[in-house]
Amino acid sequence: MMLRALSLCACWLFMWAALLPGQTNPQDPSYVPGVTFQTTNPNYPVRNPFYFEGRIDWNLLQITNPSNAWEYAQRGIHEQDDLLDNTSAITDYQRSISMNNLSNGTCQIITTATGLGAATNPPPCMFTVRLRLGNLLIETDPAAAIDLFKEVLNIDPLRLGVNGMIGEAYTKIAEEASAFTGRSAAYNNAIGAYQAELDLSPVTPATIALTSDLANNAHVHWALAEIYRATGQSAGEGRELTLYLQATQWHSDTYAWRIQLANARLKTLQSQVRGVRR
Amino acid sequence: MLGSTSEMFRIPRLLQHLNTGHNAQSFGMSVRINNVFLILFFVTTGLWAQKPVGNPVQSPFADQPYQKPQDCLPCHQRQYDELRSSVKSGYRAVSPLMNGLEVAGNFLNGGLLRPQYSDSTEVLPDGVVLNKNMFTASPLTETRQVQAGFCFTCHNAQVEKLGENPATREVPSPPGLQNLFRPDLLRPLRDYALVDAGGNQVLPATVGGPAPPDARPSLGAAGITCDVCHNIGGADLNRSFKHDGFANMSLLLNHTIEKVGPFAFPIAVKNDFHVASNDPSKIGLLKSSAFCNTCHDVRVPVAAPGDLQNLEYNLNPGGTGVTYFRLENLSTEWQVGGYNGTANPFGKVTTCQDCHMSQFPFGGNSSYQVGDLHITSPTPGVYARNYAAVPGVSTDQNYPLPKRDVVSHYFTGVDVPLMATNELQGRLGPDYPDPNQQGVDEYGIPLSLGARRQALLDAATRINLAKTDSQASLGGTLAVRAEAVSLTGHRFPAGFSQERTAYIQMSVTDDNGFVLYQSGYVVDKPHPDTGETAPDGNSDDEDLEHVHAVVNGGKYAAPYATGAASNGSLNDVFETGPDDGPDSRVYAGVNEGLVLFRNELTKVFLPGTPIGRNDAGGNPIVPAKPHYEETFNAAVATTVDNFRSLQPLVPRTFVYEITLPSQAELQEMGVTLQGPLHVHAQINYEHFPPVFTRYLAKTTGPDGPAGHDMQLLNEATIDTYLKNLTGISSDDFTVALEQAK
Repeated sequence: MMLRALSLCACWLFMWAALLPGQTNPQDPSYVPGVTFQTTNPNYPVRNPFYFEGRIDWNLLQITNPSNAWEYAQRGIHEQDDLLDNTSAITDYQRSISMNNLSNGTCQIITTATGLGAATNPPPCMFTVRLRLGNLLIETDPAAAIDLFKEVLNIDPLRLGVNGMIGEAYTKIAEEASAFTGRSAAYNNAIGAYQAELDLSPVTPATIALTSDLANNAHVHWALAEIYRATGQSAGEGRELTLYLQATQWHSDTYAWRIQLANARLKTLQSQVRGVRR
Repeated sequence: MLGSTSEMFRIPRLLQHLNTGHNAQSFGMSVRINNVFLILFFVTTGLWAQKPVGNPVQSPFADQPYQKPQDCLPCHQRQYDELRSSVKSGYRAVSPLMNGLEVAGNFLNGGLLRPQYSDSTEVLPDGVVLNKNMFTASPLTETRQVQAGFCFTCHNAQVEKLGENPATREVPSPPGLQNLFRPDLLRPLRDYALVDAGGNQVLPATVGGPAPPDARPSLGAAGITCDVCHNIGGADLNRSFKHDGFANMSLLLNHTIEKVGPFAFPIAVKNDFHVASNDPSKIGLLKSSAFCNTCHDVRVPVAAPGDLQNLEYNLNPGGTGVTYFRLENLSTEWQVGGYNGTANPFGKVTTCQDCHMSQFPFGGNSSYQVGDLHITSPTPGVYARNYAAVPGVSTDQNYPLPKRDVVSHYFTGVDVPLMATNELQGRLGPDYPDPNQQGVDEYGIPLSLGARRQALLDAATRINLAKTDSQASLGGTLAVRAEAVSLTGHRFPAGFSQERTAYIQMSVTDDNGFVLYQSGYVVDKPHPDTGETAPDGNSDDEDLEHVHAVVNGGKYAAPYATGAASNGSLNDVFETGPDDGPDSRVYAGVNEGLVLFRNELTKVFLPGTPIGRNDAGGNPIVPAKPHYEETFNAAVATTVDNFRSLQPLVPRTFVYEITLPSQAELQEMGVTLQGPLHVHAQINYEHFPPVFTRYLAKTTGPDGPAGHDMQLLNEATIDTYLKNLTGISSDDFTVALEQAK
């Protein structure tokens, strides 16, 4: 029995010895399932050439102290969104923009598709940080906000919503203007900006065929109607209210009661027109 | 356990099947073996785990052809039945979405997504010889290699591997690539997943047409089968871009009798059908999240310079030219999240298997704290006690099986078939389970995939409105604060997270129901581009109102040319909607509009690249400077934002600054508000947005690049199968209304 066992053992060892040589292990010996992982932080993007526009959860970035324009922007987003600390956010956004700025050569406007990559230097100018700072300043310093929004349009002239923000900022200037001329000019600038917003999404026979929408950008039309109402331009108000109702026909509104209000105001405007005709 | 009777039975079988050239019978295996031998065996199995496997042979065991799942059924009935109802095993192979998306990608790049094999003589116009695919190229040094079989490799790697032999090839390479490609001849992958009674491939009479009479599912139709997971050599680091075993099916597959299970001391199998592996490294891999990681990150190759916001490339030798962006990022999300450690409510690593292969979410509840939220939710990692195989038929010499902790093979996720049951059964066999079948299994878990998915989603998130302003006044601003948290092991939504659509539906009403604010709403409307000329009374086929997008489906053009000009995928319409939360919140930091947890595929149109639509004068819009825009086809995306989804276990508060109507405005409307105000918020989920499905319906439809209907999707199927699951979590809050003085 013992001999038989020893014989088995010898054969077993022989068998393994025959197996071992010449075979390579496809599994990296350092690889431990569920433990080994890439060494770089997968949540920290490497710009190529653009910085990541948007928001990354701050805790995932593992940044102790910001060291470049993008990191200051991300910390500002964290302060604004998560800590509700707009003051600190403004400071960080301003620092970010100072480090990603056309005027001091720390960013550039990309105008060609060739030769772009991680080594593109200076980096492209960022738009998110400018939009965020602009909106934080829109109540207290709408003129500064407008400058920032215009910088964004210089980066991406086709970006939707930016002209609308400029319109909103001019409207604030108008509402706070003490002199008629300043108010009128600001309203006109707002109207121009809102019109520029509409021009980026033209309603054409082709779009109507695809969507059945006779108008779009409901909030822009509502804002324009409010300007015309404030300036006593009832024809303009009526036109914009009509377009607002067309734009909401298949999309309603977050403020759905405005549809009811628009109808009521149109009715009033129409009755005023009838009254004048009489 | 050493020396136990069960081990004594197991060892002879192992020896019999080792590829040693020795005759195992010469060792006298019919006799019982003493403990000395057993000790030696276990000592040497340690070596075996670390060294003996080679490349390409990753197992010393005898070869065995890739098995259809039915071969495993007699001994593993429960696992077979469970697996059969999982979408990855059958449905995915015939899914109109998966097939449509794969076809759409091929239209754009001229067939490059179809697998290529070693006998291919294909030379691309730039001189590159393409005779490898994403599975056979190691390391991946050419973008075209990653593209070749890009979808097919993950969903059917074993069948792609078999395709190296023309006699067992299911999916052929297209007869021409790039500008020689013929979109009119392209068949959806599912056309190839049919055989006749003799096992010979049969094709539908027309491209994409119904299964021929008496056709039955092919080997590939089964998708992810038993053998895909249980016949493995390990993670394939050489094919994973970061050399870490993550993504794009970076798994070493075997065709041997060595089947890897979860048990360290498996019991010998009856009639030598297979050997239960005793390799601890393989067993360890199978039981860990690392196993799932090999497929559940998906990294899409993109031409140089790569992802325009995040440079990543293949780190393996020769791979630096392969740049990519992250589509599915689920595994990475788990790996860096709270469940991959002890800093989670359960104080231990919680793996993929703990939620998707356990009794979860039917295994009881736990209560715990996440931030300032008190949570009660299903407990992960609760496993049933059962037999791993059918007693009496599965073990050598009918050795009695013990009951052990066993896993479920339902793999319940967030998807359900977008097909009728009879159509599924026509392609996958008459026994294919009805996704909505009644009843429960032996553990009380619903047999219905739809019901299981609903329960899984119900466990995924929580929302809380407690931080909302408690008082509001007319004409003033009401700040609604919705605190949302994901309880999932990864972000939520995950997987194909750029289309998986989770969002907050929120409303503020007065006590009479007058709506003061709404977000995350939908409106029934016409969709003339897919033939719905008037509202149809169905709101599940409506997109959210943050953006109005219509995607070009392309058109047939001869001669064919690659690119979006005639093959669609760019936005014909892309307008800001009234609920424009995502852009406002992410880019502008404005607290208004839709809270959308869907991630976003983005195309950065570089200067000089037409965006695909015209200005008011009818002229093509060609940006002079880079322009970012959401895209609905990963094949044209140049970057991605994967951070819009909810981070696991990190609550986040979303603020809505709502302007209430003034007293004057209410008077204009003839409305009197009745306090208090009621805030309701709920998280909804739909597996695909309608705009995406309509794009696929158009690009695979009769007017698409193929010039004929590929019979995958249309407005009717969208209306029938696309369902919005509302209220997977919800909360309510009451706000006192200060009346005008």
